[in-house]
Amino acid sequence: MQASRARLFKEYKEVQREKVADPDIQLVCDDSNIFKWTALIKGPSETPYEGGVFQLAFSVPEQYPLQPPQVRFLTKIFHPNVHFKTGEICLDILKNAWSPAWTLQSVCRAIIALMAHPEPDSPLNCDSGNLLRSGDVRGFQSMAKMYTRLAAMPKKG
Amino acid sequence: MQNHDEIPVESESESTAFNVEYEAVDDWSNYKDSDVMQQQSAIFEQDAAKFPFVGDKEPLSSLEAEYKSGSPILLEKIKVLSEKYGAIRRTRGDGNCFFRSFMFSYLEHILESQDHAEVERVKANVEKCRKTLQDLGYADFTFEDFFSLFIEQLESVLQGNEDSISHDELVARSRDQCVSDYVVMFFRFVTSGEIKKRSEFFEPFILGLSNTTVEQFCKTSVEPMGEESDHVHITALCDALGVPIRVVYLDRSSCDKDGGVSVNHHDFVPTPADGATASTSETGPEPNPFIVLLYRPGHYDILYKK
Repeated sequence: MQASRARLFKEYKEVQREKVADPDIQLVCDDSNIFKWTALIKGPSETPYEGGVFQLAFSVPEQYPLQPPQVRFLTKIFHPNVHFKTGEICLDILKNAWSPAWTLQSVCRAIIALMAHPEPDSPLNCDSGNLLRSGDVRGFQSMAKMYTRLAAMPKKG
Repeated sequence: MQNHDEIPVESESESTAFNVEYEAVDDWSNYKDSDVMQQQSAIFEQDAAKFPFVGDKEPLSSLEAEYKSGSPILLEKIKVLSEKYGAIRRTRGDGNCFFRSFMFSYLEHILESQDHAEVERVKANVEKCRKTLQDLGYADFTFEDFFSLFIEQLESVLQGNEDSISHDELVARSRDQCVSDYVVMFFRFVTSGEIKKRSEFFEPFILGLSNTTVEQFCKTSVEPMGEESDHVHITALCDALGVPIRVVYLDRSSCDKDGGVSVNHHDFVPTPADGATASTSETGPEPNPFIVLLYRPGHYDILYKK
């Protein structure tokens, strides 16, 4: 518990320092609880998520950094490796390939990379995975773009 | 089957049973990865209750007892082993057994030998490992806690300081997850750094082992806790810290030497840091590693010389 707190505090300081270096990620710690974080990440360019801003919720376990943080999308997203209802993310480093060498910030970077390079062979969202697996890239992109527009972009007045 | 009146009751209870099952199945669709992980860690905790990270020292006869009705080759080999080795200390089979065995064996050796020169030597190598990770682009704060915890243990087994610890305390700490897992993770960082630093050297071995890139291998098979170790890990750790390791193999292969059964072993001898050619030609004195591990397919334990 003490170790995880100390580590998270270091990450907090690092985040303040990296803010400028990584304009695509805005990682914020809960005011009253250092084990709860949220992040806003920009959809990577040249993907159907471009132009969208996606919110992630982090829940950090007491065993951190020996155990990975739990991360999910709060913003709805159409992506083969993200559960359409719960926002759960299928990413190896959040499961069995986790190591303390990762940080909350680098996890965000890995999620952005996953958005740009979906892995349709291990889908959490089968509809999305099937479109890609059957080669219907256009169908996938238009669905993903539609949801980006509906859920991840500021509503036009 | 005596009373027909019972039938509706039965079917009713069946239908509730069905409902329960149905609910369980319904739950499956909401069964998240985090639930799976929680269940997995619960299973680990159950195992933990059964066997500590590091067991007590046992006479080698306990190993014999384990194979009482087993393969005669193994029993024969254990007999050969018992000529040189007197005791065994088991470690938990949680995928970290090589690192855990190394940790305990090394710290126990320092505690018993009070070899200050060895401690200074290893500390210097630990500093090199720190530099290696920094050069590879690891942020300090991701690994420094693990490094300092190891150094702390190393210093505390040296006697005569305020923080010095007894053998009993060393055993207790090795069983305490907060210490034990952090030291294991320290070794994982060191091993990963060494492999990445000398990636051209390790690449062919890694290709032979897992057909992945060096980077991918370190990411999925070295740095995560619970990933089992192979000769690549052992070579890298041994080189990085400059600590020789003997691995004694106990398996069913019959390695006949003039008709008798022999137990083969392999000495991992650190290659000199500058000799990146890494030719393990016999240059130094004959290797006599103080760390001896017993390898049975899939698991490492600690062996004690007589």
